[in-house]
Amino acid sequence: MFELFLAELRRRWIEFRRYPLEAVGGIFIITAIFYGLFLSARYIAGPGLKLGDRVDSIVIGYVLWSLVLFIVTDVAGSLQLEAQTGTLEQLFLSRYAAIQVFLTRTLASLSLQMVLLTVILLIIMALTGSRLHFPPALILPFVTVLLGAYGIAFAVGSLALLFKRIQQLIGIFQFGLLFLLSTPIESWDGSLQIVGQLLPMAGGAGLLRDLMARGESLNYTKLAIAAVNGFVYFALGLLLFYLAERVAKRRGMLSGY
Amino acid sequence: MNALEAYNLKKTYRQRKVVVEAVKDVSLTIAPGEVLAFLGPNGAGKTTSIKMMAGLIRPDGGSVRIVGSDPHRNPAALQKMGAVLEGNRNLYWRLTPEENLAYFGVLKGLNHQEAHKSGMGLLDRFGLMAKRRTPVQQLSRGMQQKLAIAVALVHQPQLLLLDEPTLGLDVEATVDVKVLVREIAASGCAILLTTHQLAIAEELSDRVAIILKGEILAESSTQDLIRQFSGTAYKIEIDAVLDKSRLIALAAIGVDVREGIIWVTKQELLYQVLDILKPLPLQRVEKEAADLTEIFLKLIKEGRSTDV
Repeated sequence: MFELFLAELRRRWIEFRRYPLEAVGGIFIITAIFYGLFLSARYIAGPGLKLGDRVDSIVIGYVLWSLVLFIVTDVAGSLQLEAQTGTLEQLFLSRYAAIQVFLTRTLASLSLQMVLLTVILLIIMALTGSRLHFPPALILPFVTVLLGAYGIAFAVGSLALLFKRIQQLIGIFQFGLLFLLSTPIESWDGSLQIVGQLLPMAGGAGLLRDLMARGESLNYTKLAIAAVNGFVYFALGLLLFYLAERVAKRRGMLSGY
Repeated sequence: MNALEAYNLKKTYRQRKVVVEAVKDVSLTIAPGEVLAFLGPNGAGKTTSIKMMAGLIRPDGGSVRIVGSDPHRNPAALQKMGAVLEGNRNLYWRLTPEENLAYFGVLKGLNHQEAHKSGMGLLDRFGLMAKRRTPVQQLSRGMQQKLAIAVALVHQPQLLLLDEPTLGLDVEATVDVKVLVREIAASGCAILLTTHQLAIAEELSDRVAIILKGEILAESSTQDLIRQFSGTAYKIEIDAVLDKSRLIALAAIGVDVREGIIWVTKQELLYQVLDILKPLPLQRVEKEAADLTEIFLKLIKEGRSTDV
């Protein structure tokens, strides 16, 4: 598996190096969209606007959204693209299970994407004057968000495996992800709080806002809930992908586009 | 042990409540080093059968073994097989040949060093060394196809599935691919080859299987099949003009002469005819032989008519 991870990392790095404009363009677009929205909000609210730690929360939500959107479109998008370009069946002829191949390849792309995301985060912080905290404990809620993101990515990937053309769905889906990652569910009360904890990634994103924007210490009960949430969505995503692979093989749909 | 064993494969699809029997009953075996040409018209069930053998489509019935392992239950069985599928690029176009070979080698279970070493060996053998650092999208169609075959062989499989390997290639590239197929088979790898170019199938294959409407119509050694469908007649061409007495003598034993060619329909008359012609100079004595195209068309026509 590690050998496969290195091969995927090598492949991604070669493509990244050979087509650097794609990565630079991505950084520019993601940063420009945020800065445009930020300037618009400031213009509408007028000069007396005081965002305080809210701007930090918004930055965290936006950057997490970019990351999760990347993970989701990476799995579903590469399935769609490879079905179109004709390499998908070769992946299923591998000696590894398809889930292993796609999980490894998305982990490899994540390694590179993390570098790009750090650049985006630093540019946004410089543009907005946001001052985020980076305590080492943030890695734990971050992992719970990643688990949820991978779960959703494989669920969407299973749809891509069966229906191939799902660009429209991904387009609509990104607004749902923005809601999940930017809504401060940690401020919800009563039964809404329970609903908030059941939503994918929302608990982990809330914990990251507590740690990085509000400078609070890690709440272990909330972390445990976010971890269970992450594992459940991850397992569900993998299960759906496994079932979709079986259906695609039964219906002879692996290569169709 | 056979490189491929497929028994009684069946596949049915439902398309808008209509049941389509893509494959009704297909059984094939291929021994190591053997080339089996799997022929049939479009829609006969070739690709579905091949994909069931490769583990890409789950059969409704029957079984597949690749060097004894079932690819539908054991993904490690795929390590013993390579495939170049028709209509697919089979390669990453942004990567170079060297990078494609190294990547797919790992995907097939090798480590990076092994994959790189094997890849370099194949690039050398396939005459692609000079292009090893050129992105695949800049290679000619023929080079891409040779590379796709090299990628399918990077892990040294015992079975190679080649679905239309010469489709869309120019004459020179087709000759290159034919030479490669012969070399690969000579190295002990079994090859299942589908093609609509029947002259290539005749030239390369040890055995032929013809499929129509999801069923095997004929399966036999290529030479036996050709022999079976060939007549017993001989045609003789001479490098002279036949005189009247010889023409009368030939007509007397029932031998036809048309446009200067002597047609001997019964084998036992051959030496009598040669005696009559003696001492005229012979240009050619040829036994009438069917080619695979005629046989294929005949079998397909018969198969279709028995179904009406």
